Amino acid sequence: MPLPPLAARRHGLGVIASIAFQNFKALRNTQVALAPFNLVIGPNGSGKTSLIESLQRLRTLSSLPLTDADGRAQLGGAPEITFSFVPPFDGIVVRLGCTSETVCDTLRVEPAGAAAWPALRRELGTIRAYVLDHEAMAGASRRDEGDELGPDGGNLAAVLVRLRERAPESFTALVAEMLRITPEFQSLELVEHADGRAEFALRLAENGDVPAAELSQGMLYLIGVLALAFDPDPPAIVCIEEVDRGIHPRMLREIRDALYRLSYPKAFGSDRRPVQIVTTSHSPYFIDLFREHPEEIIISQKHGRAAHFERLADRKDLPELLREGSLGDMWFSGILGGVPEER
Amino acid sequence: MKVALLSESPADETALRVLVTAVLRQPPQFVAPGFRARGWPNVAQLMPAVLRHLHFNTDADALVVVVDADDSVVHTEPHEAPGYFHPHCRMCQLRAVYRQTTKRLPPAHGRERVLRMIGVAVPAIEAWYLCGRDDQVTEAAWTAGREQGALPYTRANLKHRVYGTDRPSLPHEIDCALREVQRHRRDTRRLEHDFPGFAALAADLRASGARQNVT
Repeated sequence: MPLPPLAARRHGLGVIASIAFQNFKALRNTQVALAPFNLVIGPNGSGKTSLIESLQRLRTLSSLPLTDADGRAQLGGAPEITFSFVPPFDGIVVRLGCTSETVCDTLRVEPAGAAAWPALRRELGTIRAYVLDHEAMAGASRRDEGDELGPDGGNLAAVLVRLRERAPESFTALVAEMLRITPEFQSLELVEHADGRAEFALRLAENGDVPAAELSQGMLYLIGVLALAFDPDPPAIVCIEEVDRGIHPRMLREIRDALYRLSYPKAFGSDRRPVQIVTTSHSPYFIDLFREHPEEIIISQKHGRAAHFERLADRKDLPELLREGSLGDMWFSGILGGVPEER
Repeated sequence: MKVALLSESPADETALRVLVTAVLRQPPQFVAPGFRARGWPNVAQLMPAVLRHLHFNTDADALVVVVDADDSVVHTEPHEAPGYFHPHCRMCQLRAVYRQTTKRLPPAHGRERVLRMIGVAVPAIEAWYLCGRDDQVTEAAWTAGREQGALPYTRANLKHRVYGTDRPSLPHEIDCALREVQRHRRDTRRLEHDFPGFAALAADLRASGARQNVT
């Protein structure tokens, strides 16, 4: 089934143009066009995490060698996820075949033997998904495991140490941004132990260090997001669940800006390649920040056990709605859908 | 004079501090942190609570409120007639909210009421930032364009012209806002002439300044 291209794709931003789901968990029959930046909102159990999971499976399966089984068509009714891509990979379609809702073990590339597949495969191999865990982030980590942030951010200290070594300008910029956002601190202190472990602390402007273990959840998440935003060689696609978690509503703009830094580096004076972002939120305050760019919002609608995706920008009455109130309030009220069902 | 600000963003607040100081010709004492609303109609919803808080819990003299007009009806001379109220004009709406909220408040902290100073940026505060830089950007041009069904610019255009991108970071937004309002730091007459929605705010500020001098 041909999938509608998104206008933004014509500008060559991002990697994935769209994803179509058949019988994959709650996503029975739906498709979603992806923009360079995608904020997915909706009730619990409406397929937000499944969307991110599909990208993780794409990464895993694309890293394996293609086998004969990968060329076989799926049996009717079996779960299938179909990916299409932006230029220069727009001639390729990738289908993931699943034997159950939890086991997807085949990957089919169409057309078979596509010349661009090896390059696309390298891009897909960099997909990263994060569910940041403040307890893990606060701990010490081995400094030789700091090449990239782990899925829970548990190696944050090592990532900061490595960043300072390999890209001191980026590290300096990260620290400067953090101190601008949280002026109660005056520096980020890295501690490297003789046994190869690394830790970090923040020094208060009024003196005294706050070790990572004593930092607030929100502060740790902020540093984690900044570590991603200032990575000089970021992945092609980054997924972050509940990016607003633990963050004061007045600080959410800074989180959005950090993610925009990844998706729209030129707007931030960087010539680094753009990163496609897929993130989720349950915060009306975070959603408010997309009033100027409602095309970046995907609403997952849940009906019984099935769910489907809708682009907010596809609503014909959106301009009128935006005149009446904030996006967050509109979403909470139920006007936009994407709210829990009630009996 | 002690002034509280109710605005939509930290960038707006930073610019308003400069503009309020420029009109008063001396820096007032600003209540910190500033009050923040989540756009329209949240500003109007929040304003009664902010006024009551300022009235009873602080010694603030005045509340400055500035909102974007967006696509709402622009406040014009006929709206100033006694008793007139246009239900789709944000200036009329905010003034009505102020009247309703303050009319039954007892005196507190040695003053009758917290004074109101309301400005409406047509169609957005970025138009104020372009004043003096682009002669085509005025409240009159916007109003004429609306009447003719051909807007001279969009809010998105204005933002792009001020920030150079449609996704400015907060520090960049603040830097640009500060850079642009510097033009009006010593003389706000041009801004008042081109933007009656700012002139109304300036008139409120001067009236309150005069009242302060009398008392």
